[in-house]
Amino acid sequence: MPKSQYIDPQKVFQPGFLTFDDIAVNQYAKTLEEEKKLYTPQDMLRIYHDMVVIREFETMLNEIKVKSVYNGVEYNNPGPAHLSLGQEASAVGEAYCLDINDITFGSHRSHGEIIAKGLSAIEKLDETELYDIMKEFLDGSILRVVEGKEENKGNIKDIAKNFLLYGALAEIFARTTGFNKGLGGSMHAFFIPFGIYPNNAIVGGSAPCALGAALYKRSNKKKGIVIANFGDGACGRGPVLESMGMSAMDQIKQLWDGGAGLPILFNVFNNFYGMGGQTMGETAGFGMPARLGAGFDRNQMHAESVNGYNPLAVIDAVTRKKQLLLDGKGPALLEVKTYRTTGHSPSDSSSYRTPEEIEAWIDADPIAAYAEKLVRVGIAKAEQLDDIKDSIVRRMTMICKLATDDELSPRMDLNKNPDAISGIMFSNQKVASMETGREPEVLMPKEDNPRVKQIAGKSRFAYDENGKAVPKTKVYALRDGLFEAIIDKFYEDSTLIAYGEDNRDWGGAYAVYRGLTEALPYHRFFNAPISEAAIVGSAVGYAMCGGRVIVELMYADFIGCAGDEIFNQMAKWQAMSAGILKMPIVLRVSVGSKYGAQHSQDWTALTAHIPGLKVVFPATPYDAKGLMNEALAGTDPVVFFESQRIYDIGEQFHEGGVPEGYYEVKMGEPDIKRAGKDITILTIGATLYRGLEAADILEEKYGISAEVIDARSIVPFNYEPVIESVKKTGKIIIVGDACERNSVMKDMAANITEFAFDYLDAPPVALGSRNWITPAFELEKFFFPYPDAIIDAIHEKIVPIAGHVSTHNYSDIEKIERSKNGI
Amino acid sequence: MATVVIMPRQGQSVESCVITELNIKKGDTVAAGDTLFSYETDKSSFEEKAATDGTILELFADEGDDVPCLDPVLIIGTPGEDISALIAELNRTQAVDVDTAEIEAPKPAAAAPAPVAASGDKFFRISPRAKNLAAKTDADLAKAQGTGPGGRIIERDINTLLDAGYTLPAEKTDDAAETPQPAVAPIPEAAEFEDIKLTNIRKVIAKSMHASLSDMAQLTLNSSFNATQITAYRAAVKEKSEQLGLPNITLNDMILFAAARTAPNHRSVNAHYLDDTIRYFRHCSLGVAVDTERGLIVPTVFNADTLSLAELSSQAKAIIKEAQSGSINPDLLRGATFTVTNLGSLGVESFTPVINPPQTCILGVNNITYRVKEDGSAYPAMGLSLTFDHRAIDGAPAARFLKELCENLENFSLLLAK
Repeated sequence: MPKSQYIDPQKVFQPGFLTFDDIAVNQYAKTLEEEKKLYTPQDMLRIYHDMVVIREFETMLNEIKVKSVYNGVEYNNPGPAHLSLGQEASAVGEAYCLDINDITFGSHRSHGEIIAKGLSAIEKLDETELYDIMKEFLDGSILRVVEGKEENKGNIKDIAKNFLLYGALAEIFARTTGFNKGLGGSMHAFFIPFGIYPNNAIVGGSAPCALGAALYKRSNKKKGIVIANFGDGACGRGPVLESMGMSAMDQIKQLWDGGAGLPILFNVFNNFYGMGGQTMGETAGFGMPARLGAGFDRNQMHAESVNGYNPLAVIDAVTRKKQLLLDGKGPALLEVKTYRTTGHSPSDSSSYRTPEEIEAWIDADPIAAYAEKLVRVGIAKAEQLDDIKDSIVRRMTMICKLATDDELSPRMDLNKNPDAISGIMFSNQKVASMETGREPEVLMPKEDNPRVKQIAGKSRFAYDENGKAVPKTKVYALRDGLFEAIIDKFYEDSTLIAYGEDNRDWGGAYAVYRGLTEALPYHRFFNAPISEAAIVGSAVGYAMCGGRVIVELMYADFIGCAGDEIFNQMAKWQAMSAGILKMPIVLRVSVGSKYGAQHSQDWTALTAHIPGLKVVFPATPYDAKGLMNEALAGTDPVVFFESQRIYDIGEQFHEGGVPEGYYEVKMGEPDIKRAGKDITILTIGATLYRGLEAADILEEKYGISAEVIDARSIVPFNYEPVIESVKKTGKIIIVGDACERNSVMKDMAANITEFAFDYLDAPPVALGSRNWITPAFELEKFFFPYPDAIIDAIHEKIVPIAGHVSTHNYSDIEKIERSKNGI
Repeated sequence: MATVVIMPRQGQSVESCVITELNIKKGDTVAAGDTLFSYETDKSSFEEKAATDGTILELFADEGDDVPCLDPVLIIGTPGEDISALIAELNRTQAVDVDTAEIEAPKPAAAAPAPVAASGDKFFRISPRAKNLAAKTDADLAKAQGTGPGGRIIERDINTLLDAGYTLPAEKTDDAAETPQPAVAPIPEAAEFEDIKLTNIRKVIAKSMHASLSDMAQLTLNSSFNATQITAYRAAVKEKSEQLGLPNITLNDMILFAAARTAPNHRSVNAHYLDDTIRYFRHCSLGVAVDTERGLIVPTVFNADTLSLAELSSQAKAIIKEAQSGSINPDLLRGATFTVTNLGSLGVESFTPVINPPQTCILGVNNITYRVKEDGSAYPAMGLSLTFDHRAIDGAPAARFLKELCENLENFSLLLAK
């Protein structure tokens, strides 16, 4: 909602028409003469060679999958193999145009794209660069296997081809010598030094990642373009549509420095089937995916549809799109029509299409047609092409032998190294700035920032020297702690960007970001469309490229809108890349109250359940700033929970108030906010303050001394201080605002039971909200845990308190009945 | 009029007693003052004498039986007397559980909701923490009143038991059944040996001493001090005690006095080691090891550090006498924070006394030998052997205590002035 853009009712209501340009379909019409000018005979043969390599690679996989033998090499591959036989011309045509700075993201069916892009990179890199890449990658472990096995001894490009094919195949066969030590597998293989970015087993998963990579290039002024490869089936996926929309948002050209559009090409390999569902005629209404561009962008995303069976037509189209992107006219959309002649996977019996249809496409085979053309126009003799084919078969047989050799290509030994995977779930690094040597772009010195000045006048502790509470307006609040940590990092790390809904101008719905608009240019701090999947997914792509990013979802309830991006992308890529990728993302989510069933949920349990995410939930300004500093200094994805109940709360615990300087609060360490001896109250998030209130009542009314521990972090979490407390008190209640069933509180209760069983005087009690919808504010006391509920639960489940009368029913009978009813 | 003879309660902490000897059988006539039966607690033994003349009309217990205190043992009356009403009455009153009658439910629980599953549900509910505490303190779980949710016995219930002194009597488990037997040696001629069942006291001593040595990390420091002053003081007192109305203060009394005054300055020697905590005591309650016919008994002089030498001497004498006669109140056999044992009178020059758990130290007193000073003159040196539990105390602090104790004994007149 920039004020510079005036929405004028006079203009809004003027009559008129929206017009569209024609969308080109199969308009490639270059003559042989024109083509000869564009391509040398070597180029033409290289195109043929690359297509045949892909064809042979996938034929080999198919043979292994179906017959467990390829050219005498026997092997059983239980893993997936989604083949793209028939689509080789599309992949090679695209990759032909790309430089090493141009990067591609793909899908579960991307073997062809990996090989095409890899061969293109090998062609374009000089030998020294190429050898250095191979030597340095995973300490040369892949190079060691293939070096010396090349037919032209010592030929670097020959070694590199073997390196590429072996690295990909060993990855598919889950070998430690694969590109990602076998942890990615067939559907996720990638090799960043060649510009091959992660391929995604989630349909359309490449689109938000590619969007983030394009943001990285745009915001950090990096060379090259980004391509998101996905199929026509993925055009039904929300994150893909969100990403196209976000990539085209007006502000990039109208409000951002320079006005260049995002350098991203959404490339649809339209093979007509999303597994078995036929997009044209059955599961979609767009007919051709090229039509979609008109819905997202004033330039229709320069969309067109080309014949993917002609590699030269694809090269022509991608070359033009690339130029548009380099000219700042992105985003672009290209539909490449193609066909897979094999099934979705080897188990696919093609029950959704006729044998005649498959036959017709095999007859139109792009490689055969291209070979015929080369011979016909005299660029090559048939024998020459046969020689190329034979050498590829020899190469592939050798690669297949190497990749199935358990000595040369071992699997991860989890007997010997049981922690091999544990060790890569998080990178656990501290990197102050993701790119050194480049000054962060800011609009003013930090000390001139109005918010910074305003905070300077605030009391950094909640009480004055007489112990009197400082008024809300004058106290340094939790939101100020977050702001301080964030603005500090913006002035330190040039790659840091932040976005989300209503971040700029508004300053975030809860004023954490107030002051950042003045400090930062648009490309570092902007409003995203209401596209949670694209917001989080693009952060993942941004981080893959080496940037640091803070994205915000306003309400924790919107986690569901970005489910795949949080659970499958943000959480998994560090480990799936065998630690090659870093994921320095802070995802801010805010737990509401007073806002009913869809805006008041604490979903810590959902994020804590997924391996690969760090989850924190600070409840004090000191902890908020310290944990945000720690999260922003790290290289791991952190889901940063905040509570709308306490954005304005002052620091009540840390002596001397919140330090002005930099400090970190170590993630995973719970904090004893009040010492006690009779019972432990472990709180998550904002329930800290209700826990303290309950402790006051227990002390004053019943003479029971409660120790109150603030969990602060959920993943990681150090149980030792809690166990120590339980050894002392023998009793513990764990309180949080999440619905109780399968909550973090329940998980902690189960763990504490295991760890401290012999010290317990009663089973640990988890107290959360009821397993209901959140009712209206006026009824919230029946839903969330308040001090009376905490005391009732202690009284009924842990230690009966003399003189206390419960108003809640926590009896086993009641709880069992509720469970029977799903409540 | 028939009278019921009950098992007396010898002290608040005693739950039951074992009848060690039954002098009568049903139908015997007895005269007032006759010994009816002998019985013992885990630490003392007693005799029950007939209060009236009469005939034994009914006998409820046998030799070796463990009879709960206040339960009837026998009825004395006149032959032919109808005692059925009396027996019926006994049955009725006995049905009143000793637990409810004797254990005051803790005050908070009185107001707490009634334990739902307490009646009719025989399932034994106890928290792990309460169970551990009970095991550590020998609390008698059978007497516990669960006040937790669903009648669960929780930590505070064990503390209630302990406050009321309900600890387990000597174990009556048949260890032989559980522990593997050593290889059977050839049985010698019957005349060559005599089998005598262990007394309860022997069993308790055996268990306690074995547990002490197997559970603790014990070691002993030996030292000696110049006993010139205390022997002179002893001589002076002996001469003047009657004249001054003082008790006969012995060397042992002086050592007790010095130990009681010195221990509180070294809190780790005046402490109980309780597994994961150490309980330090402000005052020193002295255990005094006494050799009796029935075995070792260690009565306590409570808050010995607050007593004058004369008071301490009198009290020690009294309890030693009671211990030796077997009439000591069992309540006086617990609660010590530091123990002194003396084998010096038997000529022992050095030994390794065994700690009485959960205490952390025991001081052994040796005899006086003569040592030579640098100038060649002899002086009387009295040996002290301090065993300590290295789990609770390190060597140096223990040695510091011993050093201060020796200094205090060497300068006894100064200690008296403090």
